[in-house]
Parts: sequence; C-alpha cells; structure tokens
Amino acid sequence: MEIKIENIENETLVRLTGRLDTATAAEFEKAIAPVLQSDMNHVILDCSDFEYISSSGLRLFLVIQKTALAKNGSVTIRKMNAEIKSVFDMTGFTALFSFE
Amino acid sequence: MIFKTNKSLSGRIVFYVLSLCILLFIISLSVFYFFSKHQIEEMTYQNAEALTANTVLKIEQILVPITKISNNYQWIIKKLESDPDSLFMLTRKIVESNPEIMGSAIAFEPNYFKEKGLYYSPYSYRSGDSVISMQLGNENYEYFVMDWYQIPVSIAKPYWTEPYYDTGGGNALMTTYSVPIYSDSAGVKRIVGIITMDLALDWFTEIVSSVKILNTGYASVLSRNGTFVTHPKKELIMNQTIFSYAKEINNPELREIGRAMQRKKSDFVSSTLNGVERMMYFTRLPSSDWTLAVIFPKEEIYLPLRSISIILIVVIVVGLILLTFIITRIISKQLVPLRHFAKSARDVAKGNFNVVLPDIRTQDEMKELHDAFDYMQMNLVHYIDTLKDTTTAKEKIESELRIAREIQMGMIPKTFPPFPARKELDQYATLIPAKEVGGDLYDYFIDNERLYFIIGDVSGKGIPASLLMAVTRSLFRSVTLHFSKPSEIVSSLNNTLSENNDSNMFVTLFLGILDLKNGMLSFCNAGHNPPILIHDNSSDFFKVIPNLPLGLIEGFKYKQQEIAIKAESTLLLYTDGLTEAENEQKVLYGEERLHSFVSERKFTSAQNLIEAILKDVDNHVLNAQQSDDLTLLAITFKGVQDKYEKSVTLINEVEQIPLLQQFIEEVGDDLGLNAPLVMKLNLALEEAVTNVILYAYPKVPGKKIIVSVTLKGNDLIFTVTDTGVPFDPTLTENPDLNLSAEERPIGGLGIFLIRQIMNEVTYSRIHDINVFTMKKKIEN
Repeated sequence: MEIKIENIENETLVRLTGRLDTATAAEFEKAIAPVLQSDMNHVILDCSDFEYISSSGLRLFLVIQKTALAKNGSVTIRKMNAEIKSVFDMTGFTALFSFE
Repeated sequence: MIFKTNKSLSGRIVFYVLSLCILLFIISLSVFYFFSKHQIEEMTYQNAEALTANTVLKIEQILVPITKISNNYQWIIKKLESDPDSLFMLTRKIVESNPEIMGSAIAFEPNYFKEKGLYYSPYSYRSGDSVISMQLGNENYEYFVMDWYQIPVSIAKPYWTEPYYDTGGGNALMTTYSVPIYSDSAGVKRIVGIITMDLALDWFTEIVSSVKILNTGYASVLSRNGTFVTHPKKELIMNQTIFSYAKEINNPELREIGRAMQRKKSDFVSSTLNGVERMMYFTRLPSSDWTLAVIFPKEEIYLPLRSISIILIVVIVVGLILLTFIITRIISKQLVPLRHFAKSARDVAKGNFNVVLPDIRTQDEMKELHDAFDYMQMNLVHYIDTLKDTTTAKEKIESELRIAREIQMGMIPKTFPPFPARKELDQYATLIPAKEVGGDLYDYFIDNERLYFIIGDVSGKGIPASLLMAVTRSLFRSVTLHFSKPSEIVSSLNNTLSENNDSNMFVTLFLGILDLKNGMLSFCNAGHNPPILIHDNSSDFFKVIPNLPLGLIEGFKYKQQEIAIKAESTLLLYTDGLTEAENEQKVLYGEERLHSFVSERKFTSAQNLIEAILKDVDNHVLNAQQSDDLTLLAITFKGVQDKYEKSVTLINEVEQIPLLQQFIEEVGDDLGLNAPLVMKLNLALEEAVTNVILYAYPKVPGKKIIVSVTLKGNDLIFTVTDTGVPFDPTLTENPDLNLSAEERPIGGLGIFLIRQIMNEVTYSRIHDINVFTMKKKIEN
C-alpha cells in the first residue's frame, strides 16, 4: 500500500496505490492523519492504482467521509476500478461518496 | 497449702511411712509391754517374797527368844522341883524379866506333887504395873484338857496355841507358847508338865499391819487352823477361819488356798475375790507354824507398767503427728521441682523448646529427670528440624514433578480430531504419564499438504526430561520451517541437542512426513521403537534404520527412508512405555502381544484402536504401578482425496493477511479462476480471518488459523478453523445500508461482505475448534 499526498491549490490529492486490507490499514490510517487534520476543503482520493479493499479499508474511507462532513469539506473518489466499485456497491458505500 | 501440692504423692508417702511407723511402734510397744509385764511380775513376786521374809524375820525376832526362854527355864525348873512353892517365884521372875510375856504358868501333870493335890500350876501374870501370882488350876479350871496343856503333852513338842482373847486382862489378843517339861527319872524320859508363856499379840499385829505392798496390798497372819490372827478386816480377826470365810463368801478357791497353806510351807497363789484377782504369797512362821500371807491385787502389779505404757503411747502419738507434719513438709519441698517440670512439659508441648528447666543441685532422681528432660528437649528440636527438612525436600520433589507434568502436558496437542477438515486423516493420540514424569512426547502439524509428525521419548525423568522434551518439540516446530526432508530435520535436531549436552540425556525419536497428495511417507528413525503399519487385518513393524537417538553425537548422519502408505492404512506409533508395561510378576506387555492384538481385530477408528490397546495393556498390568510414560499415536490414512484440496496455516496477526492473499491467488491459479472472483474470494477470506484474529483470539498471540479449501463438484468450500474462544460470526446482524455516512457505524461489514460474496455460510464448533465454512458456486 502506497499513499501519496499532494496539496494542489485548494485541493488535497491522495493517491492510493496497491491494497488496503487489514494488514495495511494501520499504515493507511497513519498516512491519512494529516489530511484528516486539515480543513479537508476538497479532498480527492485517486484510486487509479487502487487494487483491493477490505472492510478495514472501507472503515477508513468512512472515517474520511465523516470527518470531512463534520468540517464541511468534501471527498471525491476518482477512477475507482470495477471490482472495488462492486464492493462499494455491495456495501452501500457508493451512496456515501461522490465519484468522478 | 502443704496438702494441696503434690497431694497424692506426698500423701501416699506419708501414709505409708506413717503406717509402717505405727506398725513398728505397735510391735515394739507390745514386745516391751509383755516383756515388762513379765519382769514386773517377777519383781513383784520377789518383792513379796522378800517383804514376807523380812516380816517373818521381824516376827521371829520376837518369838524366837521366847522359845529360848523356855529352854533356859527347863533346867531351873528341874532344880526347883524339890520346892514346888518356889515355882511361883519362877513364874514371877519370867514375867518380870520379859516385857513381852504377859503371863507364865508352869503346869504339872495331875498329882505330880502329891502334897499339892491334883492340880498344881503356879501362874503369874502382869496386871497393870504389877505382877500377880496365883494358882491356875482348880476344879473350875481343869487345865489338863486345855489346849495349851493337852496338845503339847500329846505331841511332846512345844506348841503355840491358837490366838485367844484374854478375857481376864483387857481383852488383848494373846497366844500361849507351851513347852513340855521332861523328867528322866528311872531312865525314862517323860513329860511331867508344861511351861507356858502368854504372849500379847499387839506388837505382832502392829508389825504385820505395817506391811504395805503396792497400793492396797496387805499382810495377814493365819493360825495353824486357819483363824485370822491379823487382817485389815477387823471383823474377821479371831471370828473366822479362812475356811468359814470362804464358805461365807462362797469362794471355794479361798478354801483351797487355806488347805494349801496348811499343806505347804510357802507358795504363790492367785485368787479372785469380788471379781478382783489377787496374788497371795504365804509362808510359815517357823516358830509358831502360823502362816503369814501377803496379799495384793494383781492389777496393781501392772500399775506402773500401765502408766509407762500410757505415757509411751501419748509420746508416740504426738511423735507420729509431728512426724506426719515434718515428713509432709520435707516431701513437698523435695517435690517442688516436679511441679516445675510439669509446667516445663506443658510449655514444651506448646512448641516452646527453649524452656528453662528447674535447677537441680542434688545428684538424685530429680537430677535424672532433669537430664532426661533436657535431652528430650534437644532431641525434639533436632527431630523437628529434621522433619521440616524432610517435608520441605518432599514438597520440593512433588512440586518438581508437578511442574514437569505441566510442562509435558502443555506441549502436546490434545484436541481431537486435530484436522477435522482433512478427510484423508483419522488421527488420535494419547499420553498417559507415569507418576514420575518420563519425558514422552508427540507432535504433529500439517503444512502444505504434508503431515509432519513425531513421537519421542526423552531419557531420564522429572523436570530435566520434561525440559528436554519441550526443547525437542519446539525445535521440531522451528526446524521444519527450514528443512523439508526428514533426515535433514532430524540431523538438525540432533546437532542442536548434542550441543552443550553435558547431562548426556538423549531423545529417541521417530519423525515422519506424510504427503497427503500421494500417500508417500518419508521418515527418519532415531533409535525409537519401530511403528506398526496396519492394513487389511494384518500388521507389520516398520523396518527402520535404527540411527542413533538425538543428543548423543553431534554431526551424526541420519538416514531417512520412504514407504508408500496405501489407503485405509493405519500408522501406529508408540513409546516403550507400552511395550515395557509390566505386571506384578514383572512380565512385559511386549511387541508380540501388541502385534497380535492389532492384527486380530478390526477397529472402527484411530481412537477406537488406541482405546482398545489401552484396555488390553490394563488387563495385563492390573495392579502393578506404571513406571514409564505410555504414549500412542495412531494415524489412519484414508487415501488421497481426489478432490482439490489446499490449505494454509496462518498465525493470528494481521501481518499474515498477505499470506492469505498468496494462498487465494494460488487457489485461483490452480483452478483457473478469473481475477474478479479471486479478488472477491480474497475479500471474503480476509474478512473471515480478520474476524478470527479479532474475536476468536482476542489478545492471544501466536495462535494458528487454518484456512483450507476443497472443490466438490462446482462448490468451492472454504473452511477457516481456529482453536480460539467460541465465536460465531453468523450471529452478527447485517448493517443498515440506508444510513447516511454520519449515521453509519464503523464496523460490522465483514460478515456482510462474506454473505454477499459467498453462497452459503455456516459455523459450527467441533470439540474445541471454531469451524467457519463458506461455499461459493463456481462455473468451471
């Protein structure tokens, strides 16, 4: 699991690469922490190279969304592949997020 | 006070001493009394005799001269015969010259002096101060028949008359002494007359009356015929004879005494008068032949004795009372240490062994007691110390055994069936430890479709053996991660165990690796009992290369062997605790019996086989004590399952999830599954395994989770098994998907996802194992 965070203008770009499972969840959580602490105006989660997500990962995505909503920020998911999307569909997470 | 302490002991001593003293005193007193009594009697009698003799002497002193007088005057009378008248002068003379003589007469035979006539008896008597002479004989006084004349004449001897009262002259008590006068004319001696002297008896009475003997003893004189001449009872004097008196008081005894007095000269007699016993000593007055008797109450003899006796008794009684007090005090004082000893004994009994004993200075029995007590105290202390040490040592040994047992039992797998998901295997094992832990071990696991198993026996007993067993088992688990061939694994184990093996303990071991995909068994034996292979009602011992037990020679080259295991074969592994189980006659169970037992029977399962063998061993051993651990491991290989099967063993750490991913991808490869499906399967499995990590093994590290998969027709069945706490994931409720992001709870998605992905999801708990099964239908 690799995470790249870029702040471009007033956007926070989080590029996710690899798998987000129970093993890598802790690492992701740590990496995401600065984003959660920011004002989260406009967070983009780039999932182009995102391969796999399990319930631990879903949990963290939910945390991101909840935090952003609390701060009146926004989270957008970009380029999620079909498999992961189906997981989102299965769990009803699709409704919780906006997609690009 | 004195009597309370040591009451019974000193009381007893005093009682015995007192009794003995009293007895001695009684005996002494009695002896003294009787001896003295006898002495006193003797003395009294002698006294009486002496007194009597003395009195007799006094009396005779008076009487004897009288008799002498008559002899003198005989001669004169002869001379005066020619002048009869002159005889008056003679009688006068006699009276005048002798104051005791009251009167004197010279009486002649009738008609002796013819001129004088029939009677001629010149007589003079005292009357007041003068002497009167007269003629005694006349018609009114025929003196020839008088006692004083007749009797001496007839007996031709001097004669004292019986006493009489002188009626003529003052009524004095008198007696007359008559002596015959002889003449020898014509050559013939004949009595011609009597010369008499009248004697007053008042002096006589005086002498006798003055005789005093003892207290009330007295003397009495009796005349020849027994008349009382003198006697304290004045009424008896001259009135009674002893015989008449005896008759009067009806005392025949007295009569006999009277007779005795007349018969014998002197004697001692006793008589009872008015109930009082009296002693009497009588003797004759030689001159008058009268009897002088001295009489005294017998009792009075003993009066002095009585007094002395009473005094003695009083003194003795007082002495005994004093003795009692003194002895009691002395004894009590002597026994005071006993009280202290009793107190010391109680203190010792309370557990205080440093009690100070009373100081004993004497070298007697108290000192003995003191020394014995001292010795006892010392010995008790020593004994208790020894006991403490022994108990501590015993407890130590027992706790050591307990620890060893716990180590041992903690190390061996005890859950059965150990691989419920593996259809190729029916496996069971048992380890029955001996009282002293023997160091048997067995272990097994499946990795990568291979069953690794060992059975072993550590030499020695107790904690060292159990530790070596634990080391061996751990090494087995770790070495098998690096080596895959039995010879390599065993060599590695051996090298590690031989290193630093100062104690020269060793382990016999049989290690086998059974490939579940083809039934090939490769094994390496290290000095262990060859297992038995059972197939189709026949059994054979493995032909093993023995090799050396582990731990002896570092670098030893172990050789392994291969054998094909047919389907429905059972490997029976055991330790020598089985074959060397002995009964009370020291007969071993033996390989033969084992061999024939397993050959002759059909067994329904591995468990059934082992239980049957155990029963058979029991029947052999009966009551004998088990001396070594007894271990049995039975592996029944049911044959290669031609369904697809794969499994992986994970540790309960999230870091192992990549391994799970790898496993799922391999399965996908094996079965040619498409990527999305593989991903979905991965997701479902990851959720299942994560749940186990989180909920079945909460906070318990290092636990195993076995994930296995089989393909049955179009069903791909995943099984996740763990030995954690009972955890049923199917109980979790599905989340509400319609909640908003704010409302959605974090978590609860795992099982939901699984349910969404898989077709069928079941949970069961088998023995101590959580078995979670997920089925996915696939098109192939």
